[in-house]
Amino acid sequence: MTRAIFSARRAAGVPVWLPALASVAAIVLGWAVLAVLVDTPRTLPAPWTVARLIWRAAVSGDLWFQTGMTLFRVAASFVLAMGVGAVIGLWLGRSAKADAWLNPILVMTLNIPALVVIVLCYIWIGLNEVAAIMAVAINKIPLVAVIMRDGTRALRPDLDDMARAYHMRPLDRLRHVILPQLAPHFASAARVGIALIWKIVLVVEFLGRSNGVGFKLHMYFQMFDVAQVMAWSLSFVIVMLTIDYVILRPWERRANRWRRDEN
Amino acid sequence: MRIELSGKAFGPHQVLGPVTLELAPGRRLAVLGPSGIGKSTLLRIVTGLDDAADLHRQGDTRLAVVFQEPTLLPWRDALSNLTLVTGAPDAVARDWLGAVGLAGLESHFPRQLSLGQQRRLALARAFAAGPDVLVMDEPFASLDPETRDRMLTLTDRLLERSGAGLLLVTHDQTEAEALSATKLRLDGQPAVLSPEKQEG
Repeated sequence: MTRAIFSARRAAGVPVWLPALASVAAIVLGWAVLAVLVDTPRTLPAPWTVARLIWRAAVSGDLWFQTGMTLFRVAASFVLAMGVGAVIGLWLGRSAKADAWLNPILVMTLNIPALVVIVLCYIWIGLNEVAAIMAVAINKIPLVAVIMRDGTRALRPDLDDMARAYHMRPLDRLRHVILPQLAPHFASAARVGIALIWKIVLVVEFLGRSNGVGFKLHMYFQMFDVAQVMAWSLSFVIVMLTIDYVILRPWERRANRWRRDEN
Repeated sequence: MRIELSGKAFGPHQVLGPVTLELAPGRRLAVLGPSGIGKSTLLRIVTGLDDAADLHRQGDTRLAVVFQEPTLLPWRDALSNLTLVTGAPDAVARDWLGAVGLAGLESHFPRQLSLGQQRRLALARAFAAGPDVLVMDEPFASLDPETRDRMLTLTDRLLERSGAGLLLVTHDQTEAEALSATKLRLDGQPAVLSPEKQEG
C-alpha cells in the first residue's frame, strides 16, 4: 500500500531537485535585478561581482585554506560535542536520579548565549585553538544531550524484555537493540548540530582567530567591503550545503532504511 | 526445573500466593485464569524478567519466550532476528525459518512481513534458541480464529519435532486442549495454582 503511494509519486511528479534549483535561481535573479535597480555597488554588489571574487579567491588558493581551517574547527567541535553530548544524554535518559539533579543545569546551559561562552573561554583558556573549539562544543553539548536523552527515554521496553529473556550479551544488546533505536535521534542531533556549529565557529573566528572564514569576514567588515563579505559567506554556505547533501543526508537515509517497505 | 515462590506483591497488593511449577522437556503445562489475575506476572517471574522475594529455582532449564506481540527487531532482517538474538548458527536459523514456512524471506525486514508471518518468525526465534521449555504468553489472543488454528497446529508440530516442553499462559482452555497441555488454574486472592477440575 505504502509502496504503491511512493512509486506513484515518483512516476507522476517532476524530479525532486527541480523545485529546489528553481527557487535558488529565483533568489539570484531577484538579487541581480535589485542590484541593477539600486545601483550602489558598495552596499549591494551584483551577483557577478561576488562570483568574480569567489573565483579569484578559489584560484589563488586562499579560499581553500581559509574554508579548510574553518572546516577543521567545525569537524573538531562537532565530534567533541556529539561524543560528550551523547554520553550525557544516554546517562540522563537511563537514570532518573541523574536527570533530576542535572536537568536544571542543562536548561540553564541551553539558555546561555553563545557569545558569553565564547568570550569566557577566550579569557579563561586564552586566545588559542583549544579555547575556540571548546567554546563551540560547549555551546552545542546541551542540545545534543537533550535530544539523546529524549531518544533514550523512548526506548521500547518490550524489546528490552525480549533481549533480557533471550540473554543477549550486553554488547549485542547495545549494538542491535539500543543503538538502532537511537540512530534517528543521533542523526537529527547531528543535522541540527552542524547547522548551529558552523555559525558559532564563524563568530569564534571573528572574535579571536587569525585565519578561517570568520577571520576574513572580520577583516572585510572593518574595511566595509560588502562584496568580499558576501563572497566569503556565500562560498562557505555552498560548502556546508554540499556536506549536508553529500554526507549527512545519505547517511540519515541509510540509518532509516529499515523503516521503508522496499528492499 | 522446579520453581517455587512464596508470593509476589506490588506494594501492599498481594498478587500471587505460594506457587510451585515443575517444567521439563516434553512436559506441557497450561496456566488458565481470568485476565488480571497475575498470569503474566507469574510468567515474568519464571522467565527472570521480574524478581520475586523468596524465589527458588532448582535445575537448569533453557527457556525461550514467545510474547503476546511478535517483538522483533524491526531494523534487522528475518534471519538476523534469529541469529543475533538467539546466537543460533546460520544453518539452524534457516532451518527453523523453513519449518515455520518463511523460507525465502530471510532478508526481509519485519515490516515487509504480514502480521501472521511476524508471529511465525517470533515462534521460529524461540525454537532457534534451542529451549528445553517453550514459554508462551497469550500468543494467540489477538488472532482471528482461522489464523489461531493454524498457529496452534504449527506450534504443536514444532513442539513435537524439538521435544521441548511447554508453559502456556492463556485464558482460553481450547488452546490448552489443542496443544494437549495439562491444565492448571490460577485463581484466588492472592492467586494460587490448582489442577483444573474436569468437566462433565
